Amino acid sequence: MVYLIPESLFELFKQEMVSIPIIDPIIKKLLEIPVLNVIVAFIFWKKVFAVLVAPGLLTILLILLIIIWLERKITARVQWRYGPLEISKPIGGVIQPLADGIRYLFQEVIVHKDAHRPYFLQFPLLSFIPVLLPILVIPAGAVYAIQTPYAVPIIVGLITLIPMVIIALGWASNSRYAYLGVLRETFMYFGYEVAFIIAVIAMLIMYGTGDAFRITEAQRGIVGAVLNPLACIVFLVTSAMATSRLPFDIPEADQEVVFGPFVEYTGIVFGIVMTLAYEKLYLLGLLFSILFLGGWNGPYIPPLGDLSGVIWLLIKTVIFMTFLVFLRSVYPRFRVDQALKLGWSQLLCISFIALGLAIVVKVGGLM
Amino acid sequence: MEEVKEISIGVPVEPPTEVKDLYVPIPPEYIEDSYKKDSLIVLVGPQHGGSGHMRIILRLRGDIILEAVPDPGYVHRGVEKLAENRLYIQNIPLVERPSIMDCANFNLGYVRAIERMMDIEVPKRAQYIRMILAELCRIGTHLYDAGILSIFLGHSTGFMWCFGLRELICECLTRVSGARVTASYIIPGGVRRDVDDSVLKYIYECTKTIENKIIGFKRIFVENPVTIARLKDVAVIGRSTAIKVGLVGPFLRASGVEYDVRKVEPYEAYDEVEWDIPVSYDGDSYARLLVRVEEIYQSIKIIRQCVDRLLEMPKGGVISDQILTGIKEKEVVSKDIKGYFYRVFARLVPPAGEVTTLTEAARGLLLYTIVSDGKSNAPYRLRIVSPSWLYLKGFMESLKGCRLADLQAVYGSFGYFPPEADR
Repeated sequence: MVYLIPESLFELFKQEMVSIPIIDPIIKKLLEIPVLNVIVAFIFWKKVFAVLVAPGLLTILLILLIIIWLERKITARVQWRYGPLEISKPIGGVIQPLADGIRYLFQEVIVHKDAHRPYFLQFPLLSFIPVLLPILVIPAGAVYAIQTPYAVPIIVGLITLIPMVIIALGWASNSRYAYLGVLRETFMYFGYEVAFIIAVIAMLIMYGTGDAFRITEAQRGIVGAVLNPLACIVFLVTSAMATSRLPFDIPEADQEVVFGPFVEYTGIVFGIVMTLAYEKLYLLGLLFSILFLGGWNGPYIPPLGDLSGVIWLLIKTVIFMTFLVFLRSVYPRFRVDQALKLGWSQLLCISFIALGLAIVVKVGGLM
Repeated sequence: MEEVKEISIGVPVEPPTEVKDLYVPIPPEYIEDSYKKDSLIVLVGPQHGGSGHMRIILRLRGDIILEAVPDPGYVHRGVEKLAENRLYIQNIPLVERPSIMDCANFNLGYVRAIERMMDIEVPKRAQYIRMILAELCRIGTHLYDAGILSIFLGHSTGFMWCFGLRELICECLTRVSGARVTASYIIPGGVRRDVDDSVLKYIYECTKTIENKIIGFKRIFVENPVTIARLKDVAVIGRSTAIKVGLVGPFLRASGVEYDVRKVEPYEAYDEVEWDIPVSYDGDSYARLLVRVEEIYQSIKIIRQCVDRLLEMPKGGVISDQILTGIKEKEVVSKDIKGYFYRVFARLVPPAGEVTTLTEAARGLLLYTIVSDGKSNAPYRLRIVSPSWLYLKGFMESLKGCRLADLQAVYGSFGYFPPEADR
């Protein structure tokens, strides 16, 4: 009885496996080995593949590596210098962020006397919850975990939890500059949230559904960025505000509040909190690609099979992330009251106009 | 700034331990008073990304700075006391160390004081070479300060480009004197050695390159809408306030006062070349940045005129004959002091008396006073008042009413340099 359970599970996994023609022979070989076949079928089961490999954990780590390296390289080239080139010189220093991560592992994690120790250490790890949960509902072509008509509202709701984690860990630091940084993070959060949500609602009205599959189907002719450019602009600017990209990296300005909420972090915990903003950027990039850039639409690549849609989605996400990360070399930093004014006057106006445009288009029956 | 009602909290308040431990020189009553009146004391200390080598004690209410108290002195190296134990010529490298990138102007003030005491007349060729060096250092300092302002606003590209351009100035200084910064090239009586024609042509080419690259820098930083939003109407100092509070240099000119020592009491050959002083009547941080960018153009104009005149002037000595009184090979030595330096200068004893010179350093008015007792070959007293020390009060006064984030913007717009202020 006990050894029948893996058999039934195995059949269950085998029915819904991700098919990638290029590595099919290897998978077929592996599926004949007794214990390994269950593990391989488990990993390639569509639901688990979406969360663990693409667009899930492994892809997040890979994209983190690439985007941090890209940011440093692009900024350096604009500034008449080379960027990271010391490690792995033949491939242009690509694994520099990996080297930095390994170095953080060797540094001492100092928890100072005044800090609230449980929250100080646990919140950076708890931050992975609102970052990884939306992956459940983000489909990438044929690779998806849950299909639901509420996908986009779920993603937006979980993304808005991330600043809570930052505020909590800054508060747990119990230090003067962390306090100033937490205040600034809170103000920034108020500044962009409303305009962001209204822009997303405008797109939902225009498509008529929150289901990512139907949104991508509707963009076969024209992409969302052309259908409602105002919402696209609002989404871009509020994404920059949300992920602390210059010109809005106010909470973690290192000339004014010395890294703000993250000032007391060292070692591997510092590495985790530094990558938090990039993971949020990744989520916003996925949302942007689905809503505005046509999701995983693109020419089908036969050798990749089911991975073809995933690759197209990731390419569009990386383009979005690269654009936002490039702004670092062009703009100085706004003051917090100027950023708030921007969020509550100009951005809110434009997002309302975008909402009106979406209602007009929908009611006029153009979609 | 509108009047905010003061709230008094009657709860007994304990000042934070960090203020006691750090030996911060503010009285504990001040701290208790601010805590009871609901304002926050923030120490922007020496270990801070945006404070330079000094501590600024801020009293904040919400986001508005009520009062800023400076705590300078971290880089005080006792230059004036050290100068009393060194020969007059050994002080030349000493006095240019406070303001490292502005070396020629600091050298010039000191050397002119010695020359005035001993009534030495400098040959024309040396005057033009000194002017070229002074203007090169002025451009270098303005580029350095613009870079620091960029990075304080968060603009790393402006920072890198300014320092990259400053490399050209360092290369010019190397070709003239052999050192990238702190050239120690100006000596009483002239300069150490003559300048080659190829070096002069290189300096001319550098001015062209700097002018071209500054156009790009203006586009990305000076005319960036975010920069304008951060700097416009921030820490405005009006004309009468500027005079009362004692601003100097380009910061005085940005508040509408047309004062430049090089025009009021010209030294070297500044009255023989054509140039203007840029003045702005706005008095805000943006005007202070724009005045300095304009000054770079004016300095380039002066350098080009000097290079042209040097190229057509007949080659001659660069060291005054009055100082080479005991030397037989005057023809050779007046072109290059190598080998005769200590013979000429080690027993230099100016007559008894006191002399003061004013120089226009890059950041403002620089004052030197030398008191000599007529007998010893080390100065009895050397007094330096650097421009950063003179406008520190104005800088702190202008911070009242600004927001916390403006501290870095105003700091960068003033170009306050703690080693220069602390000497």
